[in-house]
Amino acid sequence: MEREVKTFVIPNELCKRAGITATWLTVDQLSVRAFEKRNIKLPDAPSNFLSDTPSSIFHLRQEVILFHPILRKLVNESCGVFIAVQNLIVNKNPADYKVELFKMSRQYRSIIRACLENLQDDLSEAKGQEKEQLQNYITIFYSVECIWHLCEILFVDIIPGNLVLSQLLEWIRFHFPKHERNAATMLASESVNLETHQDYWNTVFGSLLQGRVKIVRALLRPHSSADHPTFKLVDQVLRAMPICSGVNGTSINEFNIQWRHWTMDVQSKIDAKLFSSEKHLDLIMRLVVGEEKAWIEIQDHCEAWYEFLAGWMFYTEPTAKSFELGQYAKRSITKMRVANNLKHLDRVILAAMEFDIFQVIKEIQHMTENGWFVAHLSDLLFHSSRLTSLEKEVPNFSAEKLRESFILEYGITLMGHKSLWPVGLSYLDHCTHDGNQVIALLLPRIPLDNEAKTLKIIREAKKRDLNDVVQCICKAQGMLSLKRGRIGNALCWALKSQDGPFTSYLADKFLQDYIKNGKLGSTDLLDNLGSCMLVSDRLIFLGKYFEFHKLYQTQKYKEAANLLISLLASKIIPKYFWYVLLIDAIPLLESEELLFSSNDTFTIMHCAEQKEDLPELKDKLNILKLSAARNLARALTYEAQNE
Amino acid sequence: MFEAQEVNAEHKDLIHDVAYDFYGRRMATCSSDQFVKVWDQNSEGKWILSSSWKAHSGSVWKVTWAHPEFGQVLATCSFDRTAAIWEEIGNIGPNDRGVRHWVRRANLVDSRTSVTDARFCPRWLGLQLATCSAEGIVRIYEAPDIMNLSQWTLQHEVQCRLPLSCLSWNPTMSKMHPPMLAVGSDDQVAANGGKVFIYEYSENSRRWVKLETIGTITDAVHDIAFSPNLGREYHILAVASKDVRIINLVPVENEETLQTGVTKLDVQTVAQFDDHSSLVWRVCWNLTGTVLSSSGDDGLVRLFKMNYINSWKPVAVLKGDTPQTKDSEQRTTSSSSNNGNVISPLSQTARYIKLGTISQPRDVPWH
Repeated sequence: MEREVKTFVIPNELCKRAGITATWLTVDQLSVRAFEKRNIKLPDAPSNFLSDTPSSIFHLRQEVILFHPILRKLVNESCGVFIAVQNLIVNKNPADYKVELFKMSRQYRSIIRACLENLQDDLSEAKGQEKEQLQNYITIFYSVECIWHLCEILFVDIIPGNLVLSQLLEWIRFHFPKHERNAATMLASESVNLETHQDYWNTVFGSLLQGRVKIVRALLRPHSSADHPTFKLVDQVLRAMPICSGVNGTSINEFNIQWRHWTMDVQSKIDAKLFSSEKHLDLIMRLVVGEEKAWIEIQDHCEAWYEFLAGWMFYTEPTAKSFELGQYAKRSITKMRVANNLKHLDRVILAAMEFDIFQVIKEIQHMTENGWFVAHLSDLLFHSSRLTSLEKEVPNFSAEKLRESFILEYGITLMGHKSLWPVGLSYLDHCTHDGNQVIALLLPRIPLDNEAKTLKIIREAKKRDLNDVVQCICKAQGMLSLKRGRIGNALCWALKSQDGPFTSYLADKFLQDYIKNGKLGSTDLLDNLGSCMLVSDRLIFLGKYFEFHKLYQTQKYKEAANLLISLLASKIIPKYFWYVLLIDAIPLLESEELLFSSNDTFTIMHCAEQKEDLPELKDKLNILKLSAARNLARALTYEAQNE
Repeated sequence: MFEAQEVNAEHKDLIHDVAYDFYGRRMATCSSDQFVKVWDQNSEGKWILSSSWKAHSGSVWKVTWAHPEFGQVLATCSFDRTAAIWEEIGNIGPNDRGVRHWVRRANLVDSRTSVTDARFCPRWLGLQLATCSAEGIVRIYEAPDIMNLSQWTLQHEVQCRLPLSCLSWNPTMSKMHPPMLAVGSDDQVAANGGKVFIYEYSENSRRWVKLETIGTITDAVHDIAFSPNLGREYHILAVASKDVRIINLVPVENEETLQTGVTKLDVQTVAQFDDHSSLVWRVCWNLTGTVLSSSGDDGLVRLFKMNYINSWKPVAVLKGDTPQTKDSEQRTTSSSSNNGNVISPLSQTARYIKLGTISQPRDVPWH
């Protein structure tokens, strides 16, 4: 167990001497520092590490290669396919989407290939460390594509009759393209003695091993001794080689019979030493009949054991079923004597050929591409019902949980990026178990660099009914605006968060500012409060008082007077604002036009009497009383006349 | 692979505590030098010291941020028997270069001994601060008006009778769970019984009720931390004692709990790691509660991870070591840029160094 645990070194002397401790700061960052291991009962004294060299804090973050500009394209594009896969699953029943899943798998692979091309393009211009880095990425994603392709053949594709060979050859041809390329250049050169080309026989054997018999024949034709009877015979033999085409039982049986006849025929020709004059041709013939010794001779031509495997199967087990692949793979490894020398890629390929999906998933977690591969592949395998079948084999295994854990991890990694977080959200959305909780936990923690980003985060939260997250963000923004002295902005955020007490606090601020300098700020906002003002009584009052101002300014005195009376009669006037309202009443009482009825005037007088003791009202009280009395006289006379 | 950015913390002694704000963009540090410092990360990722002040007249043990919806607020606690509430005033914002400073809004002086831990409650409970002290009392303070931080009332005093070293609020947000606190004692006497206490606020009796004493932990406890909750029915608690413990607290529902309204917990130790082979001093969860870090007497930080079937495994170790100079490259595995001291103080952009590793058979495994 201990062997599997990696140790990372913090290059700091103090950390070494004192020991270190760690605190998490974001999703992907850990802060490490030297600390004192201290019991609370010890007296307070400087530590043994007190010195002139101050202590340091180290912020550790995981290197995420996916954040490289080229790989970000991969991240974005693969997210599209991922979502398409999820939609597919929702809308159709399993029988229907098998074929579709295979298409999706190919889409994923074409994204990886496009990414590899981009990396190659950049590699040619890169220098030094960057070049090394790009090369590293290419190695990683080349392996990813290689494994994915094989997994696609074995676990996603539906192979008719389980005859795996043709797909396997296709996979080999794709990953060892050298021979095809060489053959093409040689044939294009139209020279007559091709054998002078240094790669000639290499290419012939390479093509032979990849089952490209036609290319082998084409390559033999421009040989300078192509007219020689041995060459002609080989061409004849190869032309007569039976091809397995059908999938149903009879055609396979038929093919097997043909194949047996053909190999017996070739074998008899070999035994008659018909080819022995040309050692290369003799080897070809001995290979196609599957002679053990010949296959040992050819081993050095093979770059990898699986290249050997495909060729060997083509000539000796052409109708092998996919479940037999594992045993042949092991045999090839033994024959190639590489069993003790298996690299990571070899191990994954072997596990896949043995249909040990659990092992494949275990191994591909170590590809150092930050979980992109394992998340997408295990999702695909899960939906192809390949993981569920493991539940019977592996104790404590849950296919769904495994899939979710990888997608969750990948989503969380993306959430840590300043612009890829929305992509991360798409993945977390498809984690039915913990996804929403993780979003609720991480979404409000995304740093709010600007208003546009803040609004975007709020939109995403609303989309997922995370009202608490919305409130939390709005409150924090409100507080921040307030501290920056932007009260209007703060009120805006407070309204969005529906935070009553905070709104009241801000409304108070507005009113107090008005008392101080006679101006109401943020008039646009106050003008458009509408039903929002119902959040707090204080805000209602502020809104109404602003309305009163507006009416007064537009000389709608009658309406203003009515509003003032209804405000006085209401119970929402802040204590400190009473005197303002009463003083506001004076010019209206003195107005030429009669604005207050006798009842209204009584209300004003009653309020004035109640608030007599307000110190701010002291010098205005007499004027107010006088105005009220004069208005009352006018009102009573008017009311008497009109009765 | 990890890369690291070094920040010179400018404290004259070891740093006791580092706290990061909600977004991980501001950092507060405290030390035996009695100072508290606040750092801001600039847009290039570099950490810049923005304030530094002498906060107490003794070692400052812990520093903690309130949620940003309450403004920029810190709490500290100290050997000088006090806890303090600080608020930043002036133009606050990442780009404002205006004058900013921290003012002491409240001094909480109820303790007669060293205040060993202070933590703000989860944000939906308002603005409350829990402190614990060497005399064995947990105190819960509350600011009834969050717009006026100079007013703090001592709401509750909970007697624990053992010297307390650490506390943690349960961050689970749910109408189902009343507020919950875990407190740890570093009392050395095993005969005094369990050293971790779980309290819950009872709405009925309006006080904090002890739900559980975790009897399996009788060694001194130095740190304690509730895991962030991803909608689980149960709570996960990490304890730093003579080893690292991970404990599940599963609420049990039966007639009795329904009647009294007091939660009953089933305590299950789900993991116990003695990887440090020594005392454990600190534990800390990552934001999603999937990785736990622990610090031990062996001087190392160890990381533990939970896999998809909820079982815990050690995944990585961090170790302080003498910085390598160019002429003594001992480890071939470490990267060539592994010279931690070459960070220029003048550069405004963050510099990251790649961390070297010892023995690397594999990357972080899961199974």
